[in-house]
Amino acid sequence: MSTDTKFVHLAWQKEEKLLENVTYPMGADPAGRLSRLFGVYDEETGLALRGTFIINPEGKLLASEVNYYNVGRNSDELIRKLRANVYLSGRSEEVCPAKWVEGSKTLKPSEEMVGKVYEALK
Amino acid sequence: MNVSGEKEVLGMSEAWCGLKVGQDVPDFKLEIYMPSSASFGEISLATLKKDNKWTILFFYPADFTFV
Repeated sequence: MSTDTKFVHLAWQKEEKLLENVTYPMGADPAGRLSRLFGVYDEETGLALRGTFIINPEGKLLASEVNYYNVGRNSDELIRKLRANVYLSGRSEEVCPAKWVEGSKTLKPSEEMVGKVYEALK
Repeated sequence: MNVSGEKEVLGMSEAWCGLKVGQDVPDFKLEIYMPSSASFGEISLATLKKDNKWTILFFYPADFTFV
């Protein structure tokens, strides 16, 4: 989503070859209301910074990442974070350690693990 | 503005500096272009929650540029 209107979204999606397989909705925020809510609205330019947010089905914000104009994102990392959050929903005793990918080991923090994360990850 | 407009505005003014992770996102509604059906529509967080959907909001500065 951006501060462009839905009309511009339509024109861009039809014109840009990289977008021909897009299936997700393209949101229009021309007044910057949602961009301001998420803290990515640049008052100087009227544009939204490169912000990425994951919201769970209960409406809670679980991940937040904002890049400046000049650096693009990595969708693999976004999918990794989404999968970790989906995996952890309903598993409050587990955590996904650094570089966790689907199928790899999770941890269950406890008194025994203090100072022994290296061993727990083996 | 929708039925929950007042609540929306309140939520936004409180969070002017940006929501933090762990916070509940106030309901929002926005106009969309849906490429799969080449049609315009509307989407709201309330509907996404009702449908038990995870939501990714992916902001970028401008159409016709890189994302």
